[in-house]
Amino acid sequence: MTTTLDVRKPAPLWFLPATFLFALLSLSLALFLGVADVAPSDIIAVLTGHGSAEARSIIMEIRLPRILTGILAGVHFAVAGLLLQTITRNPLADPSIMGVSQGATLSVTIFLVFTVYIEDPGSNTLAAIPVEWLPAVGMLGGLVAGGIIYLLAFRRDLGPLRITLCGIAVGAVLHALAIGLIAGWGSARIEVLLEWLSGSLYARSWEHAVFLLPFTIAGLAVLPLIRRSLELLRFEAPVARSFGLSYRRQFSIVLLLSCGLASSAVGAVGPVVFVGLVVPHLARFLAGRHFALVLPLTVALGAIVVTLSDLVGRLAGQADEIPIGVVTAICGVPVLVAFLRKTP
Amino acid sequence: MLLSCSSLSVTYGRRKALNAFDLSLRKGEIRALVGPNGSGKSTALQTLAGLIKPAEGMVEIDCRPIGSMSRRQLARHLAFLPQQPSAPDEMTVEQLVRQGRFAHVGLFRNYGIEDEEAIRWALESTGLAGFDNRSLSELSGGERQRAWISAALAQEAQILLLDEPTSFLDIGYQIEILDLVYRLSREKGVTVVMSIHDLNQAMSISDHISLLERGELIFDGEPKQLADSGLIEKVFRVKGNFVQIAPNAPPHFDVELARRTALTA
Repeated sequence: MTTTLDVRKPAPLWFLPATFLFALLSLSLALFLGVADVAPSDIIAVLTGHGSAEARSIIMEIRLPRILTGILAGVHFAVAGLLLQTITRNPLADPSIMGVSQGATLSVTIFLVFTVYIEDPGSNTLAAIPVEWLPAVGMLGGLVAGGIIYLLAFRRDLGPLRITLCGIAVGAVLHALAIGLIAGWGSARIEVLLEWLSGSLYARSWEHAVFLLPFTIAGLAVLPLIRRSLELLRFEAPVARSFGLSYRRQFSIVLLLSCGLASSAVGAVGPVVFVGLVVPHLARFLAGRHFALVLPLTVALGAIVVTLSDLVGRLAGQADEIPIGVVTAICGVPVLVAFLRKTP
Repeated sequence: MLLSCSSLSVTYGRRKALNAFDLSLRKGEIRALVGPNGSGKSTALQTLAGLIKPAEGMVEIDCRPIGSMSRRQLARHLAFLPQQPSAPDEMTVEQLVRQGRFAHVGLFRNYGIEDEEAIRWALESTGLAGFDNRSLSELSGGERQRAWISAALAQEAQILLLDEPTSFLDIGYQIEILDLVYRLSREKGVTVVMSIHDLNQAMSISDHISLLERGELIFDGEPKQLADSGLIEKVFRVKGNFVQIAPNAPPHFDVELARRTALTA
């Protein structure tokens, strides 16, 4: 390597407030731009508690809950990706790559088949989806997938690369099962599911945000408690254990947290791919050697990436909007390839 | 701080990597583990460090089985440096050495004055005081190895286990590290067990030598006794002589190169 890092380079502490400011900026951008034309003055009127009923409905009932749900989900996916990358010591780890999202997808699909179909065989509307249960149900499936990763990691004592490959295989199987189930379900109802399956923020209401929020709060509250184990989990197990870390216990806690965050978000918005992969890399790039900055930057960037991706999807498709999962997948692949080229 | 183990056995699948291994160390003693590749030196060290669970026998520190200690408790008594450890590239020397304080600060407590002092001391002892802000990927092999040793020192453990600490270093760094080990043992009373390939370095630095062959301990004693035993030639399948160079120094093993004998014959 020919690049030499400047030893006396000060900590880029201003990155942090700047990034959060940028997050706020993208939030307002997403609020002001949309398919339905609402004059900025009307939007400001709505935000200050006035405005027409129509503008109020568009902003308060459609855009804001959608943006907030997206921000929460973005934070979930990004942090989950960072945790997975850290504990597997694999820069390519991501909940949607390692089977966690697929586990959540399968459990949500099974849940929907049973509740929606059995309760009301004639129903085919999105409104029939029991929103309040989705994050919890998704989490259940994600944790099962996480359990499989754990067993592979410790029972068979696999290295990071093979754990990732096994995660991909597990994810493929779980995904195939979910698709099979949906195909077998038949009828017009699958449209509703397909939208969700591609990762979408379409028609996300306050309910989605409210039922996801407890998971966000719980997850973020745990982060300060695991900051030091995260530092040590970056080492190989023998080294971390020699430093005094109860490796297995801390690995499990972080894996549990990662799966919980990713899969509860999958429940709310569907599997939005690559956010968990790309955001931690951006955060690490900005943080440089200041590891303490990586976590807060990941939180802020997760919110930004999802908000802006959703905005792109909304504006590019106009009335037929593009699901955010499609946007992140299309944007994520070049980034993934770039990282692959950089990885020795 | 007393480190000992008795009838330690470790199996990998059906292969016995270590068989009925005994070791007993005095405080401040330097013990070298020598033996051919695959003779069980690393296995012995990893078992002593509590990283491998033995099939039989147990390791004790001050008559307390290490299995009854938490990881952190153990790390306060014993620091282990594996062979060629790896760290994240962007990590700096100071950040690496700081990890050595985990045994003392744990998951939640903040670093106090005594922690900062220990980090400073560890960096200075390994001659890395000016390098603390360098990232590990920028360092040479010798500097990186010293950074790892520094991290182990920051742990302030009374027992230090080193797995081939001098391999891949040039002779200057090798001697520097051996000097450091010697100082730690004599000035701080640190007990050291290390595996090492250079026989003469092992002979000159250690108080006792353990010789391993295919997982069996076949010699345990002072360097001079090892020289007299004639085991080295047998175990390593070489020809050579122990030569007394200085009156009070341990004898020097002078190995005959097979090629040279072939030429003169």
